[in-house]
Amino acid sequence: MSETMSIEDYLAQGGVLSAPENVPARYRGELLRLMSSFVDSELAASAGFADSINFAPAIKERIAASRITLEKADHAERVLAVMAGFGTDVLRYQASHDWSARLDRDTDLGTARAGTDNRLAVLHYPINGWIDAVVMNVLQGLATGVQMTELTRVSYAPLAEVFREIAPREARHADLGLEGLERICATSEGRAEAALSVAYWRPRVAATFGVAGSGRFETLRKFGLRHHPNEALLSRWAALADERLVAVGL
Amino acid sequence: MARFHPLKVTDVRRETRDAVVVTLRPRDEDVALFDFTQGQYLTFRRDFDGEELRRSYSICAGRDEGCLKVGIKRVDGGAFSTWVNESLAPGDELEAMPPMGKFFAPLDETAARQYLGFAGGSGITPVLSIIKTTLAREPKARFTLVYSNRQINTIMFREELEDLKNLYLGRFSVIHVLEQEGQEIDLFTGRIDAEKMSGLFTHWLDAKAIDMAFICGPEPMMLAIAQSLRDHGLRDDQIKFELFASGQQGRAKTRAVSKSATVPGTGVQATVTLDGATRSFEMARGGETILDAAIAAKLDAPYSCKAGVCSTCRCKVLEGEVEMAVNHALEDYEVRAGYVLSCQAMPISERVVVTYDE
Repeated sequence: MSETMSIEDYLAQGGVLSAPENVPARYRGELLRLMSSFVDSELAASAGFADSINFAPAIKERIAASRITLEKADHAERVLAVMAGFGTDVLRYQASHDWSARLDRDTDLGTARAGTDNRLAVLHYPINGWIDAVVMNVLQGLATGVQMTELTRVSYAPLAEVFREIAPREARHADLGLEGLERICATSEGRAEAALSVAYWRPRVAATFGVAGSGRFETLRKFGLRHHPNEALLSRWAALADERLVAVGL
Repeated sequence: MARFHPLKVTDVRRETRDAVVVTLRPRDEDVALFDFTQGQYLTFRRDFDGEELRRSYSICAGRDEGCLKVGIKRVDGGAFSTWVNESLAPGDELEAMPPMGKFFAPLDETAARQYLGFAGGSGITPVLSIIKTTLAREPKARFTLVYSNRQINTIMFREELEDLKNLYLGRFSVIHVLEQEGQEIDLFTGRIDAEKMSGLFTHWLDAKAIDMAFICGPEPMMLAIAQSLRDHGLRDDQIKFELFASGQQGRAKTRAVSKSATVPGTGVQATVTLDGATRSFEMARGGETILDAAIAAKLDAPYSCKAGVCSTCRCKVLEGEVEMAVNHALEDYEVRAGYVLSCQAMPISERVVVTYDE
């Protein structure tokens, strides 16, 4: 065993980086891309959910939607603070995009990036009322839960720590959605409307896992920023979604 | 953006033949800014022959010592560490950014936790700060340090660690592992690798009792220790890492200056390197950024905000000249070293060579 090794070898073998000063240039680019995608997605999700507060049928639901709106913005802020260590101008960043902007519901983006921010494509689609909001939150919340198993292991320790703090609260958001979905599916009309929303959101959430055999995945894996390929995460999410939807009669 | 502040050098003490401990005092108005958490580091800057060097060194003082101290070991060929070891004297001033870093765990004075620290060489500095602070502020905490060095006379803070053992009798223990000197117990001779770790866990350490582990040292040592800790049942959130100073990326030399003159209206020959692959293509002069041209040439260049704010798209200009429309993310010294935000950069020379890999 030699005393030192290249940072690339260190990362490939599971090493962890601890400060902006010891991050190589390419790693820096991919790490920032990952962080900004998360920040943009959380801000866009928060902005989208803000409208859902007023769709809520009762106080309990209103509180759940408010909480999700609040906490997603808070999570964005925490990751943005890690980006600040790399020079990101945090105040300008928050103002650089319109987080509530949405495309037409019929647009088909696939996995493509749209607009000027780096949010997941699914967050470009508008929400249609309360049941639609709940279904979207359940499916996307389960997807976030699966993604979190990767994010909490990223090789940049200060970020992994933030994700470990965030993960249980994100899981709670999905749980709140499932509770709401259970209430909706108690009636046949509710179940029928929810089924329409599932049909709309399911392929769009599935697309957030990216393409199979992604070239970028290999780069990220080498850096310790990813561990399991897109297709593995997608199938885990699909199984999880099936299980939860069946449980409420969908 | 974090700013630099002057710190007065109040003491420079020789710790070993090639390491010094520097005591620093902030200006009265900066005292709150330099209030640190155990395990954090300071980033210093200094000009060497017109090139700004930045180096980070961990604070080795405990939070209750009432001062800032850093341990700086001379690295072969290292301009900053050599200068500190040979020339720095009390009364001098150093410029530093406020303390940064997340190499610590929150303290709880009512807890009775067991900590394990691993340090290799000068990796002891943040660990020492953590040991002193933890033992002082968590009266029921116990701490075991496994400390690896080449030989006895290169051990930093040997006396201070002995003093701590006496001060916190029964709560603090040190296992010295020496590479080049035989000790009574064979296990304590050599480098810390997987085999030595399993020996330590068999005879000296109880993995199940450990609440939190801190590791700071050279990369191979950290990998071996982390793997062993995981194999013995520690979770990722129970293992804290700080990368050894040698892992710091050297800052780039000043950029090459453009030799070709600008001819308005003609195309630009661009060469872009990403992930070790280099691609050359022609791009427009004016109106097209290096990032857009790279993406059009099917390079998966990193970017996010495209507004000059996030710095995801940072690249380095190796040849030629570019102009940035806006820059809210790069500091002056990065720009002087040739870094640009590719989403804002347009070539103004006939040829431009950039890389995302450096």
